[in-house]
Amino acid sequence: MNVIRMSGVTKRYGQVTALDGVSMELAENRIHGLLGRNGAGKTTVMQILTGQAFETSGGVEVFGEHPYENADVLGRICFIKESQRYPDFFKVKHALRAAELLYPNWDAGFAAELVDDFGLPVNRGIKKLSRGMLSAVGVIIGLASRAPLTFFDEPYLGLDAVARQLFYDRLLADYADRPRTVVLSTHLIDEVSDLIEHVVLIDKGRILLDEDADTLRTRAVTVTGPVTSVESFVAGRTVLHREQLGGFLRATVSGVPDRPVVGGLEFEPVSLQQLVVRTTQMNGPHNGRPVGAGNGGNR
Amino acid sequence: MNRVLDVVRVQLVNWRGIFAWPLGILALTLVINLVTFGVLSDDVPSNGRVTGSLVSIYIVMFVAHLQTITQVFPFALGLSVTRWAFYAGTTVLVVAQGLLFGLLLLLLELVERWTGGWGIGLRYIGLPFLVQDNLLLQWLAYAVPFLAFSAVGVCFGVVFKRWGQSGVYAVTIGAALVLAGLVLLVSRLGWWPAVGRFFTDQSTFALLAGYPLVIAVVLGAAGWLVIRRATP
Repeated sequence: MNVIRMSGVTKRYGQVTALDGVSMELAENRIHGLLGRNGAGKTTVMQILTGQAFETSGGVEVFGEHPYENADVLGRICFIKESQRYPDFFKVKHALRAAELLYPNWDAGFAAELVDDFGLPVNRGIKKLSRGMLSAVGVIIGLASRAPLTFFDEPYLGLDAVARQLFYDRLLADYADRPRTVVLSTHLIDEVSDLIEHVVLIDKGRILLDEDADTLRTRAVTVTGPVTSVESFVAGRTVLHREQLGGFLRATVSGVPDRPVVGGLEFEPVSLQQLVVRTTQMNGPHNGRPVGAGNGGNR
Repeated sequence: MNRVLDVVRVQLVNWRGIFAWPLGILALTLVINLVTFGVLSDDVPSNGRVTGSLVSIYIVMFVAHLQTITQVFPFALGLSVTRWAFYAGTTVLVVAQGLLFGLLLLLLELVERWTGGWGIGLRYIGLPFLVQDNLLLQWLAYAVPFLAFSAVGVCFGVVFKRWGQSGVYAVTIGAALVLAGLVLLVSRLGWWPAVGRFFTDQSTFALLAGYPLVIAVVLGAAGWLVIRRATP
């Protein structure tokens, strides 16, 4: 069953087209990775799916209905975004208590465990939290709310590697016990590649990939060898990336179902992260350029 | 309806802060006035010891509900509350707060009377134009202005959330222009005596509770139309 359905969704902010005919369906009880560069449109997709922003055109269905002002649908959603605003006059415990009041599946015991795990000071004012602690508040609300559909939009800002691993471990363990639909938007693709079961790659407001993670992992391969051998091997295939060093060529190609044994060529698997990077770079001449790290362009 | 009450409870999660601030400001201004008139007791005749500090608690409510929109609204929508539930819950809270603080002021007014103006003839709560004939009218005369001040705060908040800082400027300047235009028009037509008569003909109850209630309702409805399409 599909929890989310978007068909031909376009979103314009004045002259800027944030989403350009986005269509996708996300299945129930899976962990979906929503990947893409800064400003690609990830946050806009999630804002529209949670009724916080409005699509310019196209069809949006969450649990079979449009989410805007739909208490029935929204009551089953938790959306944790990196830029989530908390009232300045709240302490950590007030934010957690508010979440407890609003989420029917809230597990106070689990929340208390997570507070311990992350070493979060519940009596501290929200304004006095470090960036990492603020992210931890969102992560705890996202996990303990146990909403049937949970969005995490880059929830890890400021969290160190150990805390991020803690988040992934807790998410996976709780997901195994209580299956639900999770949409995780992230830049740290390598870190979550074992976690996500389905990948949606979005770039410049368009969907580039929409496939099972397992399929994607076997989809491309990097081949290295003398220029002439590699060139003859990749001829007729989609080359995602090529690097030449002297007489050696290293090419990433898609559409190689099994590893052929070809003399003088070396084959390596391509990580999800590399595949995403190369696919995105293929999508446009500007994609080799860095974009300021941080946030999407539509906050 | 349950969701609306949930929103009220979320807003009251930090209830100490919500009630401590207005009460603290009220207590503080009372002390300042007592000290001031205590020191000046020889210079100010006891029938002239009137202060307008009471307005401070109303201004606190304006600021509080401006923040309700700029800070609690994005938080609540982040936790999957609909705009309707949020706005209805805020309305319930504003009305309840107004009635409660109105009741408090009513009681303080009685205390002020019984103690002969806090012992020094100070009129801090029961200002001459505020005093009504009976307790119910007195309660409403204190309570309704809270609703009007809160509604103005909510309105500025929703305009800010929907159109940003430039929206707030546009609304403020627009309101000032309309007001200036009206003043000009009334002057041109020589209607000032009529305007003055209108206000003196009204009872103080109408001016304190009647018209502020109309303002609160109109602004409250306008705020809903704006927040419907606001993003957190």
